[in-house]
Amino acid sequence: MPELGRLAVCLALLCALVSVIVSVRGALTRRGDLIRAGEHAAYAVFGLVALAVVLLLRALLSHDFSLEYVAAYSSSTLPTNYVFAALWGGQKGSLLFWSFMLSLFATIVQLQNRERNRELMPWVTATMMTVAVFFLGLVTFITDPFERLPNPAFEGADLNPLLQNYWMMIHPPSLYTGYVSASVPFAFAIAALATGRLGDQWIRSTRRWALFSWFFLSLGNLFGAMWAYEVLGWGGYWAWDPVENAAFMPWLVSTAFLHSVMIQEKKDMLRVWNMVLVLLTFSLTIFGTFLTRSGVISSVHSFTQSGLGPFFIGFLLLVLLTAGGLVAYRLPELRTSGTIESFFSREAAFLFNNLILVGIAFAVFWGTVFPVLSEWVRGVKITVGPPFFNRVNAPLGLVLLVLMGIGPVIAWRRATPRNLWRAFAWPVGAALVAGVVLLVGGIPFGGAWFAFVGGVFALGTVVQEFWRGVRARQAMLHESAPRALGRLVGKNRRRYGGYIIHVGIVSIFIGIAASSVFRIEAQQTMKAGDEMRVGRYTLRYDRIESQENGHVARTAAVLPVFVDGRQIDTLMPEKRFYKKPKQPTTEVANRSTLREDLYVVLGSYDPQTQLVTIQAYVNPLVVWIWFGGLILALGTAVAVWPTAAEREVRVVAPRGARVPVE
Amino acid sequence: VSVLRATAPLLLALLVAVAPAIAGPTQQEIEEALTCQCGCGLTVHSCNHLNCGSGEPMKKEIAERLARGETRDQILTAFTARYGEKVLSSPTFRGFNWFAWLTPFAAVLAAAAGLVVVIRRRVRTTATAAAPAPPVPSGDVAALRARLQRELEQLDRE
Repeated sequence: MPELGRLAVCLALLCALVSVIVSVRGALTRRGDLIRAGEHAAYAVFGLVALAVVLLLRALLSHDFSLEYVAAYSSSTLPTNYVFAALWGGQKGSLLFWSFMLSLFATIVQLQNRERNRELMPWVTATMMTVAVFFLGLVTFITDPFERLPNPAFEGADLNPLLQNYWMMIHPPSLYTGYVSASVPFAFAIAALATGRLGDQWIRSTRRWALFSWFFLSLGNLFGAMWAYEVLGWGGYWAWDPVENAAFMPWLVSTAFLHSVMIQEKKDMLRVWNMVLVLLTFSLTIFGTFLTRSGVISSVHSFTQSGLGPFFIGFLLLVLLTAGGLVAYRLPELRTSGTIESFFSREAAFLFNNLILVGIAFAVFWGTVFPVLSEWVRGVKITVGPPFFNRVNAPLGLVLLVLMGIGPVIAWRRATPRNLWRAFAWPVGAALVAGVVLLVGGIPFGGAWFAFVGGVFALGTVVQEFWRGVRARQAMLHESAPRALGRLVGKNRRRYGGYIIHVGIVSIFIGIAASSVFRIEAQQTMKAGDEMRVGRYTLRYDRIESQENGHVARTAAVLPVFVDGRQIDTLMPEKRFYKKPKQPTTEVANRSTLREDLYVVLGSYDPQTQLVTIQAYVNPLVVWIWFGGLILALGTAVAVWPTAAEREVRVVAPRGARVPVE
Repeated sequence: VSVLRATAPLLLALLVAVAPAIAGPTQQEIEEALTCQCGCGLTVHSCNHLNCGSGEPMKKEIAERLARGETRDQILTAFTARYGEKVLSSPTFRGFNWFAWLTPFAAVLAAAAGLVVVIRRRVRTTATAAAPAPPVPSGDVAALRARLQRELEQLDRE
């Protein structure tokens, strides 16, 4: 059966190539039959890659250790859910999985646009299939997941124990979904450049895809942070690792795009800039894959290293040159005569928001590649670690937080003093009060204080917007408050969904600020009966409990937790020893409350002396980060949900009829 | 430019605010300034590998050196001499490494300056090309109400 998988991949590559050639030819000669043929070839790519994925899964589930990939990334004792994760746990599988997602999205885009965007579609198909050719080319010629071992293995080497965690089930697929779906707006951008249809159409057609991609990048980053927090056991959730940076950069640029696109829609400005942001987001996803796969920059994520670097760099150059060339070619047509009337306008606020977002992305990029640059220029290896990123990004992030409060409420075109007063009196007042209260309450003047006060300000503008919107509807339409709120949001989904997302981001900001500035740590080696203090908690070490099965041996320390002499909980941090890759891992015990996490790690246990070393951390407000993620998801759901008008159009329009809207 | 002038002190204040307090060196501060050499990519302070062959001895050595009354600089220099500059968790404030620290801010400030120039030019050309647009309504409450009504109706139609 694996041979069938290999055949499917080879045929998929062939179909993708055919699709590119036929689509481009169809577009140039305006032949509908060729354009359709190109799309059909792309459907075939999807079918074939899906077949290959199914076959690889089958091999994994049936423990066919004659396959190199199956033997390297799974074992017969690996729990079934992690066997699925093994599909993306190794490089070969993950590249196949990537191709699968790409062809899936290409299929969906084509189905969505059977009657729309006909001018753009052949170029969209050709672009997405070009990306598919690259990935399928790698899968076919370099990282064949169906490769047979010369001698079948008896047992697999197993999945890396660090990856045997439920976040690992959803973190990579989320991130991949975000990465790969960024190729849809990219494909439409290329199509717009190729056809010269540079108006709003391509942007309107990909708005949802851009938001979709952004949403999954957000989730991917947050899930990755949760995974790090739960699994790596060093008390933190973000280490500015190159691969984390690789996932963070496209998110930042994509966020910038989602904002600046509003300016283009309202005022027909920034066409070039938006184009650049879309192209950059996609390029950064490729750059991210390059970082993960190449091993050029050392990273904790180097679960999978190989010599793929040059291929990715080559492809990245091709993307950048093609996109850059097309933009330069269309530059005269892309220029717009939009006007800005004042610094005190929403246009200006959004421009500065974009500046800071892209600025942070650049700072992260710069810090990530600087070691390579240093070695190249000075011949000296240096490290650019978390202290650098924190110090450089904290001030930029705080400016962004303030802009997040200004952008949504400042008037378009030109804000008069009266307008500024109306928009900002309450939020600024609330922030000032919060600032004083925090100082009195013992929060020192510093980065965290700024973050809290900025958060109150940004939150204040959002609350004020909701309040005023509801009051206006109540006054004019005599609706009840809940009904007014429902209709207010329902009729302006993008706007109010965006505000809800802002609330989530504020929550994340506050969580990050509090947990990085006010964390408390303690470490102690103890014998049974000893106690240690961390923050307001007292931990007593009672005993060790051990468990063992064929897959993993666990050693847990039993630690009752006391506050003011009263026991409130019992925590059991573990060490696990996985049998196959003989490797210990840490299972953190975390007592999470809205106020703070008590995060306890079993550092070491010596069976001879019966001594344990416990590392304990009190991380304030970490839950706010995860809650922020939930709010963000809610806001995104509100924003992408079709409006009543859109739903109506869909119901009324007969199948196959041309739909004028969107 | 006025915007820049207004935001520059704010930026400076932020920078000062987030910079670590200048006091006697602590164990944690020095552990955070050094990168663990075990391959974890974390700082010595964060690495929690079981009996880490690199992090644990480094932590011990830092404690000993602090007990001897060595300064932060002396300790970091000693580690740099042994492992090379890559042991420091962030670039030094010296020579070529200034590029690491300053480039992001320089880029943002340069782009901000460019943005300010572009906006000012647009503001001026708009002002000469056309009469200034009517300011956002700031009239009496009745006018605002009427506008709200209009806009709400329009939204309902959308």
